[in-house]
Amino acid sequence: MAEAYIEFKNITKRFGGTTALTDVSFEIQEGEIHCICGENGSGKSTLMNLCGGIILPSSGEIWLNGKPEHITTVAKSEHLGFAVVHQEVPRCQNMSIAHNIFLGSSESIRGLFLNEKYMAAKTQELLDTFQLKLSPEQIVETLSIAEQSMVQIAKAIYFKPKILILDEPTASMTNNQRDIMFKIIKELQHEYGTTIIYISHRLEEIKEIGDRVTILRDGQYIATKKVVDVNIDQLVNLMVGRNIEHCKEDQKSVRNEVLLKVENLTHTGKFNNISFELNKGEILGLGGFVGAGRTEVLMSLFGDMKLDEGKIFVEHKEVKIKSPRDAIKHGIGLIPENRRDHSLIAEMSIQQNAQMVILKKLIKRLFINKKKADKNIDEMIHKYGIKVNNLSNSIMSLSGGNQQKVVIARWISNQPKILLCDEPTRGIDVGAKEEVYSILRNIVREGIGIIVVSSELPELINLCDRIIVMHEGKITGELNREEACEEAVIRFASAIG
Amino acid sequence: MKTNQELNPIKESELHSKNKKLFREFGILMVLAVIFVALSIASPSFLIPINLINIVRQTVEIGIMAIGMTFIIIAGEIDLSVGSIFGATAMFAAVLFQKGTDPTLTFFFAIAMGSGIGFINGFLSTKAKMPSFIVTLGILQLFRSVAYGISNGRSISSFPDSATNSWVFGFGGNIGIIPVQVIILVAFLVVAHFILKKTKLGFDTYATGGNKKAALLAGINIDRVKMICFIIAGALCSFAGLISIAYLQSVPTTAGQGREMDVIAAVILGGAALTGGRGSILGTAIGALIMSIIKNGMVLLGVPAFWQTGFIGAVIILAVLLDTRISRSNSFK
Repeated sequence: MAEAYIEFKNITKRFGGTTALTDVSFEIQEGEIHCICGENGSGKSTLMNLCGGIILPSSGEIWLNGKPEHITTVAKSEHLGFAVVHQEVPRCQNMSIAHNIFLGSSESIRGLFLNEKYMAAKTQELLDTFQLKLSPEQIVETLSIAEQSMVQIAKAIYFKPKILILDEPTASMTNNQRDIMFKIIKELQHEYGTTIIYISHRLEEIKEIGDRVTILRDGQYIATKKVVDVNIDQLVNLMVGRNIEHCKEDQKSVRNEVLLKVENLTHTGKFNNISFELNKGEILGLGGFVGAGRTEVLMSLFGDMKLDEGKIFVEHKEVKIKSPRDAIKHGIGLIPENRRDHSLIAEMSIQQNAQMVILKKLIKRLFINKKKADKNIDEMIHKYGIKVNNLSNSIMSLSGGNQQKVVIARWISNQPKILLCDEPTRGIDVGAKEEVYSILRNIVREGIGIIVVSSELPELINLCDRIIVMHEGKITGELNREEACEEAVIRFASAIG
Repeated sequence: MKTNQELNPIKESELHSKNKKLFREFGILMVLAVIFVALSIASPSFLIPINLINIVRQTVEIGIMAIGMTFIIIAGEIDLSVGSIFGATAMFAAVLFQKGTDPTLTFFFAIAMGSGIGFINGFLSTKAKMPSFIVTLGILQLFRSVAYGISNGRSISSFPDSATNSWVFGFGGNIGIIPVQVIILVAFLVVAHFILKKTKLGFDTYATGGNKKAALLAGINIDRVKMICFIIAGALCSFAGLISIAYLQSVPTTAGQGREMDVIAAVILGGAALTGGRGSILGTAIGALIMSIIKNGMVLLGVPAFWQTGFIGAVIILAVLLDTRISRSNSFK
């Protein structure tokens, strides 16, 4: 057995009164791909922030090459050879890709000036490796989230770290992009002997890429296993500490009534001639790779993106949707892809975030009716199983899964006819995912129609009654529940169907 | 049941956030208390009732203007033009009073003018998609000129009896020993507090400043919210202008010049975030009070005039520094 390269020794980390990690000890060998998995709040990210020099352990030590190291600053961490790609890194949104890659590096400076040519050339090489059709000058803001995380990983890899830490890197990626990234990671491992710590709660990824896997639960070390020795069900049990039944109920809630019909929706450059129908009680999936125009279709239906052409009918009546307010008036709700930037207001409480949409109905003579509001929120919490102790706490004090349930509750309480969900389970753990699925399945029984955009194929296939697949802004295929399988979706998505 | 174990950590962090909430206005209140005690010791005339009433009276104009600014800053915008709105509307009203226009009509004309300028600020910052910093910087200059223009560059200081005997000029008087303007300020503070904390408009204002995109996608008409904030601010500035006429019985051409800095400082001292989404009327009121207590104290202590502004600058930096230290040490993560 190889020698321990990184050792975590009895690490405990407290934040105020909250304990994020309790006496965690395990080791990582040189040159392995070591996965760390656990539900949200299990302490994965805390562990990585310790390696990144962002926080210090309350007690315990990190040993590197048999020596204890105090990783007190980010610079120290980098000096020791760590490169951490965080889950949601604040990038310099209004700077180019090239400038983001070379941010803080002295390599790009020639004399007193920036060496633009050198940066552009090196960035182009990186983009080619990642098979990204982007130019180094492109502003990061204009990239999709998946592309942004690829750029982030490219930046980390460029400086050839000894230890690369990836925190949920594939959260918004398509299978295709993920495969490219995996290939690059494996090359790194083989050619440079880089040690890779891979954090994910996508278990199939761990099976695909990992050598060993460490499971954390509620801040405690549970086990380290060789990936070949465990199957996905065993991993789930270790992570959750309970059995999750994958509910594949085949109840038919689809009614024979058209709820939404769109004709020839076009936004030049994003999508063309999109036509489909959504029935009452139906969950319709929009499949395809990132950049196929799925999110854009949702955003246009919700009035946040202009339509160049096309008609929208809700319950057989043509409607004009020019703003999100119009959409809400016609009974449409949206759960956006980017929870932190597009759903939540960090400065506001859990209750305020939950009642943003329904507030109008809680007003009595100009003032917000506190009794009514409190009753309404109590109902929400019970109905959707939101785990919360004090409703006046900041929304950011909740785990990702509970935040998402708040967002879903926000819309459902407004009794929409149509709910648009863009990556509804992005960045939330296995347990919460199942809860989100069951909430969505429950509400379609009441006759609501749902459109789901998801890059996770198992999610689309298990959840949706019907899947429409898009490729470069056009619909390339449609699959019903019986036909739907991963292969079929991918064939349409890459337009080789 | 396992839930007990799971919920415990949340309970702890909740205690934390409660402390933070308590301290947010508590901190600035302590600053006020320290300054108050220090001045009571340093100057024997500070604690005299007349002086205390005077301090509150001196808070009125900045306080009223800061209410509007609080709305705007919470909504994530800024208004640099408040001093000019104050000056131009006061000058406009003074001209009308002098011409013998009906005082009640004049009152409404002045308020309409203030609201109108607020509307222009709001319209250009939302529909024309310009940054409010730039829009209101332009309006600041523009309406300073208007103030000079409508008075031909001179101050106005004598009004006919029909004006001075009217209810509008009653703003400058007293009820018992309490100045009417102080009562008006308190009334405005109370109303504004309830609007911000208890109504949909208040909620929408916090939401818009907290996360514009999320607010938009939740169906909040963020452009209208901002517009209303600018209009409220404009109307309040003109109201402050009218109070100033009634009290001083004159309007200098430079009325309100540089006032925007005092107003913004009061709001920031009160704990509002320039990035939006955070702030309160209670905080702003304390902030405005601190500004006038310091000014008053410096006069009592005989601090040379040229050092006074410098001292205020230092207090602002210290107070905000303290505030950021507190919020950083208590934040999550």
